[in-house]
Amino acid sequence: MNKLLKTMVMGVAGLAMTATAALAGEYPDRPIGVAVSYGAGGATDFQARIVTMVAGNEDILGQPIYIVNKPGAGGRVGWNWFATEADADGYTLSAYNIPHFVAQSIKGGVQYSADSFEPIANWGADPAVVVVGKDSKFSTIQDLVDYARDNPGKATLSGAGLFVGHHIAALQIEKATEAKFAYIPTKGGGAAAMKAVIAGDVVAGINNLSDAFRAREAGNVKILAVADLERNAEFLPDVPTLLEAGYDVDDSSVNFRGLMVKKGTPQEVIDTLAAKVPEMFAHARVAKRMKAGGSPMKIMTRAEVQAMWAEREKFLAELLKGL
Amino acid sequence: MTASRLQHVVSSGVVLMVAALVAWISFTQEPADAFLFPRLIAIFFISLAGWNFVRAVTGLAKVGEGLDGPGFVNILPGLLVMIIHVFFAAKTLGFYLASTIAFLIIFTIYDPAPLSNRNAWIRRIIITALFMAVMHALFALVLKVQTPRGIWF
Amino acid sequence: MEFLGYFGGVFEPISFLLLLGGTIGGLILGATPGLSPTMAVALLIPFTFHLQPAQGLILLGAAYTSTVAGGAVSAILLKIPGAPANIATSLDGNAMAKRGEGARALHLSFLASGVGGVIGVLLLIFMTPILAQWALAFSYSHLFWMAILGVTVIGSLDSKSFVKGLLSGCIGLWLSMIGFDDNLGAQRFIFVDALAGGIHIIPALIGLFAIPQVMEMFSKGRENAAIEALDVPKQSLIASIRELSRSIRSLSIGTIFGSIIGIIPGVGGQIAGLVAYDQARKFSPHKDKFGKGHPEGIIAAESANNAMVGPSLVPLLTLSIPGSPTAAVLLGGLIIHGIFPGSDLFDNHPRVAWTFINSMLIGQILMVVFGIYTATWAARIARAPVPIMAAAVMVLATFGSYSVQQSMGDVYIMLGLGVGMFFLEKFGFSAAPLVLGLILGPIAESNFTTGSLIAQAQDGPLIYFMTGPLNMFLIFLVLASIGYSFWSNMLHNRAAGKAGAGS
Repeated sequence: MNKLLKTMVMGVAGLAMTATAALAGEYPDRPIGVAVSYGAGGATDFQARIVTMVAGNEDILGQPIYIVNKPGAGGRVGWNWFATEADADGYTLSAYNIPHFVAQSIKGGVQYSADSFEPIANWGADPAVVVVGKDSKFSTIQDLVDYARDNPGKATLSGAGLFVGHHIAALQIEKATEAKFAYIPTKGGGAAAMKAVIAGDVVAGINNLSDAFRAREAGNVKILAVADLERNAEFLPDVPTLLEAGYDVDDSSVNFRGLMVKKGTPQEVIDTLAAKVPEMFAHARVAKRMKAGGSPMKIMTRAEVQAMWAEREKFLAELLKGL
Repeated sequence: MTASRLQHVVSSGVVLMVAALVAWISFTQEPADAFLFPRLIAIFFISLAGWNFVRAVTGLAKVGEGLDGPGFVNILPGLLVMIIHVFFAAKTLGFYLASTIAFLIIFTIYDPAPLSNRNAWIRRIIITALFMAVMHALFALVLKVQTPRGIWF
Repeated sequence: MEFLGYFGGVFEPISFLLLLGGTIGGLILGATPGLSPTMAVALLIPFTFHLQPAQGLILLGAAYTSTVAGGAVSAILLKIPGAPANIATSLDGNAMAKRGEGARALHLSFLASGVGGVIGVLLLIFMTPILAQWALAFSYSHLFWMAILGVTVIGSLDSKSFVKGLLSGCIGLWLSMIGFDDNLGAQRFIFVDALAGGIHIIPALIGLFAIPQVMEMFSKGRENAAIEALDVPKQSLIASIRELSRSIRSLSIGTIFGSIIGIIPGVGGQIAGLVAYDQARKFSPHKDKFGKGHPEGIIAAESANNAMVGPSLVPLLTLSIPGSPTAAVLLGGLIIHGIFPGSDLFDNHPRVAWTFINSMLIGQILMVVFGIYTATWAARIARAPVPIMAAAVMVLATFGSYSVQQSMGDVYIMLGLGVGMFFLEKFGFSAAPLVLGLILGPIAESNFTTGSLIAQAQDGPLIYFMTGPLNMFLIFLVLASIGYSFWSNMLHNRAAGKAGAGS
C-alpha cells in the first residue's frame, strides 16, 4: 500500500514538473486554435484549414493549428465570443473577414470593433461576383441592371447575410446603378445563397469568386461581373469588372480573410506570429491546394493589414451612414 | 403513481411564469421584425401553459410521478458536486483535475461500500484513474481537444 | 452499372486499409458523446492532405457512414444521443439496455442501419439525376411547411400527455430563439453571456438526455446502488436477423422516410430519425409499447438515419450544393484536392466519384460486421455499477459538450438544461419533443423570413406560401397530421375515461 502511494505521489509530482517546464518554454509550446466564425465546409473554414496545414513544420511554428467552428448570425457569434471570452495568450486565434466584422460593428449590437483585435496577416482576397442561373435570360450585367430599372424591387439578389461583403456589394451596385434590387440574405452562408441562384429562387445572386468559379465549372451558373478594380486573371479572365461595365463599384466589398489575435496579447507573441504566419501562407503546398480549390490568395503582412482595416472602416462608416 | 396536486400546481405555475416572461420580453423588445417569431411562439406557449395550469389546479393533471422526499435528498449531494464541478472547478482547477476529483467524489458518495473500507478506496481510486486515462487518451491525444488548464491541467 | 467497374479501387490494399480504419474509427468517434458525424468528418480532413483524392474520400465516406451508426451505441447504452439523428434510437434503445437487452438493441440497430444504409447508397447510385431535381424543387416556402409538419408531430412524440408534449415543444422552440437573430443580428433572450452564441444542438442533446438520467441514478442513494447487477444474455446473430425480418414494416417505414427526407437540403438529416420513429408508431398495432423498449422503435429510427446518408449526398455530388452540414464538410474535403462536385466530378474524375460511392456501400457492410462483433462486449457497459455509471456519464457529458466548440458556455448550458429537464420530466414533460422544437425553430424561422423577402419582391406572401402543387401537398400533410393528433388524442381520452369509470 505504501509503495502504491509513493508511486502515485511521484507520478503526480513528475506530471506537475513537466507542466511547469512547459510553461517556461518558448511560444508556442502547444497546439494553437483558430476560431472560424462560419460553419465547417464554408469558404472561410476550408481555406483556413488549408492555409494552416503546415503550421506544425519545424521552420514555421513547430506546433499544429486546429480549427474550431463557432458559426451563427453572419459571424457575430464567433467574433463576439472571441472578443469577450477567448484568452489573450496567443493560443486562441480567430479568422477575420473584412468587411464583415467591421460593418457589423458599425451597425452595432455586438461587443467588438476593429479595436478589439490585432491583425496578424492576411491570406486571401475573394471578390464578390454577380451570378445568375445557367438558363437565365440575362447574359450581361447590363441586361440585369436594365431589368432592375424597369422592375424596381423585383430583381432579387441572394447573398450570404446582412452586412457581409455580398451585402456591401449589393448596396454599392444599387447606389451606382440607381436601380432598386431586393437583397435577400440567406441563412447558411454563400452555399445557401448559391443554391437559391441555381434553383431559380432568386433572379440573381452575389457570391464569392471562388464559389462562383466552381459553380461555373460544374455548369450551374453564369458569372456576369466581378466587383473588383481589375479582372481576375487567374480564375476568371473573361468576366468584366463592374467598373468596365460603367458602374462605379470599387473593391470595397472584396472579402479579405486572415488571422488575428485578441487585443492584450503579449507583444512578443504578436511579433512571433506576424513574422511566421505570412511564411506559412506562402508555403508552396498551401499555394498548390489553394489554387486547386479556386481560391485567390493575397498575402499581406501585419502592417499592410492594419492600414487596410483602417481604410475599410472609414469607407464603411460612410456607406452605412444612411441605413 | 402520480404527484400530489400541490406539486403539479407549483410545477405548472413555474412553467406559466416562464411563458409569461417570454411573452413579456417578446412583446416589449425591439426591433419588432426580429421578434416576430418569438411573439408567435409566445402566444402558443402562454396559452398552453395557462391551460396546463388550469388542469393542474382542477386536479386533472395526472402524468408524471413528481418528486419524492427521500429520493430528492439523495440527489442533492451529487447535484452539488456537478454544479461546483461545471461552474467553478473545471475552469479554475483545470478540466482533467476537476473531473478526476468530481468522479471520485460522486463514486464515493454513492458507493455502497463503507468509507472505512481501505480496499474499497483502492478500488475507487484505480477505477477513477483508469477512466480518466481513457478520457485523456480519447479527448486530448486522439481528438486534440484543448481543455481549460486552470491551475494544473 | 458504371459503378461496378470501379469496385476494384475499393479493394486496393491502401484503400481497403483506409476503409477499414475509417469504419472502425468512425464507430468509435460516433460513439463518443459530443462528436457528431459532421465534426468527425471535419477532424479527419487533415489526414486526407497526404492521400490521393480517391483515398481521402474513402476515408471520409467510411467515417460518415459509420459515425451515424456509431451514435446509436452511446444513445442505447448511455442514453446520450451522439447526434440529432440518434434521438429516436435512445428512446427505446436505452429502455432495452436497462432491461439487460443491450446486446439485442445494438444488434438490431446495426442491422437496421446496414439495410437502410445500403438502400440509401443504391438510391444514390441509380436515382441521382431524378433525386437532384427533387432536391432543387424545395424552396423556402416548402422548407417552411416541412418544418411546420415536423412541429405537428411534437404533441404525439414520446409523451403521455398531449398538452405537455406540445408545451415541451414550445419550450424547445423558445430555446431555439435564444442568441443573436440570424438575419438582423438583434439580441434575443440573452440573459447571461454564455447564451450569446445561442443554444447549440449537441450540448443541448447531451444535457437534456444524459443529466436527468444521472440525477435519476443519484436518487437511488447509496444503499440501493449495488443491487442492480444486470445479467446480459448473449444475443445470437441468427436470432437478431430473424427478429429484423419480422419487423419489415418498421424497417421499410424507416428506410422510405429516411431516404425521402434525407434529400431535402437543410432539413433532412436532423429529423429523419424522429419522423420515421413517429410514423412507425402511428402505423404499429402496438403503439403503447413504443418508448418503453420496443425493438421496432430502434429499427425504424436507425434504418432511417442511415438511409438518409446516401440521398443526402445527391445535391452535393450533382449540383455542388451541400444539403447538410456533413455534406458541406465533404465538399471542403473535395475542394482541397481540386475536385469540384457537379458534372465535372462524374465526367473528369469518375474513378474518384465511383470509388467514393462504392466505398460507402462496402463501408455499410463492414460497419455492420464490426458493430455486431463488438455489440456483446460493448453491452457490458450497461452492467457497470450505478455509482460508476453516474460519475462516468457526468464526466463524459462535460467533455463531450465542451469539445463541440471548445467553449465553457456550452458546458454551462448543458448542465442548466439538464437539471431543468430532470424536474420537467418529473411532471410529465419530455425531452424528445423539446429537442424537436429546438431543431425546427430556426428552420421554420429562417425559411419564413427569407421566403417573405422573396414574396415581397414577387406576388406577396399569400401567393408565395400558399400556391403551387408542392406547397398545397405539404399544407395538406400538415392539416392531416394535426387532425390525426386530435383524433387519436380524443380516442385515447375516451378510452382512459372508460377505464377510469370502470375501476
